[in-house]
Amino acid sequence: MANESQPTTGLYKETLLAGLWRENPVFRLLLGMCPTLAVTAAVKPALTMGLCVIFVLVCSNIIVSLMRNLLKPHLRILMFTLTIATFVTIADLFLKAFALTMSETLGPYVPLIIVNCIIICRAEACASKNGLIVSVIDALGMGVGFTLTLCVLAAIREVLATGMIFEVQVMPDAFVPWAAMGMPVGAFITLGLMLGLVNLTNKKKAKSSCHEV
Amino acid sequence: MLKIKHFIQESWLLIVASFAFGLLIAVASASLDARIKQNEKDKLDNLMKSLISDANDFQIAIEQAEIPGDRGRVETTDVYKALGEDGGVIGFAFVAVGAGFADKIKLVIAVDGKCEKFFGFKVLSSNETPGFGSKIKDDDPESDVDFADQFKGAPAQEFELIKTGKLEVIKKIDSQIVAISGATVSSDAVVKIFNMYTDKIREQLRQKGLIGDGK
Repeated sequence: MANESQPTTGLYKETLLAGLWRENPVFRLLLGMCPTLAVTAAVKPALTMGLCVIFVLVCSNIIVSLMRNLLKPHLRILMFTLTIATFVTIADLFLKAFALTMSETLGPYVPLIIVNCIIICRAEACASKNGLIVSVIDALGMGVGFTLTLCVLAAIREVLATGMIFEVQVMPDAFVPWAAMGMPVGAFITLGLMLGLVNLTNKKKAKSSCHEV
Repeated sequence: MLKIKHFIQESWLLIVASFAFGLLIAVASASLDARIKQNEKDKLDNLMKSLISDANDFQIAIEQAEIPGDRGRVETTDVYKALGEDGGVIGFAFVAVGAGFADKIKLVIAVDGKCEKFFGFKVLSSNETPGFGSKIKDDDPESDVDFADQFKGAPAQEFELIKTGKLEVIKKIDSQIVAISGATVSSDAVVKIFNMYTDKIREQLRQKGLIGDGK
């Protein structure tokens, strides 16, 4: 994890990029599986969920980082949960006020961000041990990585399930939509294939770097 | 005394944070509450308008009508009267709630001015299984075999849920409702909601003199 005593640009860049690939919360750490499977039937809800997670992740990392020196070890998880629950409630109210249809589409999955492992994991692994800047950058990297992953999965599922993306027809008229891709079975299959693909890519990368050495 | 000191030393941050976060949520809720309530009202108005398209205005006819439900529970709902161009009552609409497959189902149900026939229903909120129970929401104007179509013009009396694949039975408008294939629980939930509310709403409308006594 990042070391506060050497806050260089390179460290910030590395922290930011870690969430996008090397420590991608979905493909590498297998965290946040519940929303990954539940809200990726279409890109719009996946993007909204991703933005909510970014908001909560950044806010909770800021608060946890600021109070890290005051935290009692045995009460820290309680403090993390309290902090996360506050910002999830605000995000939920905001969606109900400004995007009611999307709030209804996401249903219970917005309040369930409270128990999203990514957020509590970053609070524990990063924000409670690092300064404000590193914590914010880490939150942004992880949040954007999570959002991009959700959007990729959702795009594949939406195109195969409906032939459309963002309500725009992208498949030829002859294409027969695969209804199953819009259902939970489609989420498991797509996620499984994507995980396999990512593992394969990483294995090839590791092999080629071994040969170079 | 030492115990209290120890307690405060250990938990002061938790207590302060709880107050601060509580205040933050209260401020956010207070500033967004009006908009959230307006959104809910607009949605209800739009659904009622889509069910009773001839209505010019909706006004509350019975406030907090009490509907006795299962296990001694009592649901309350506002009953709205739909006013036509001439100001006459052309129908009534109300929100009805019941247990679905995964969560509560909230419907907006509309009946005609005599409470004899249903205009139909719209789903205000539900979390039924996508692709199966969610079909209770399907209301394609070009399709005449949607689940919701069976309620349009149906007599305002007790419904019976049946299972058949015969198209002529599905299309027939009567007190028999054909369940959605693969979503019997959700279909049954909708029928139960209708059966729970219809008689009780009619009775209260009669008591208020808003409809005739049916004799």
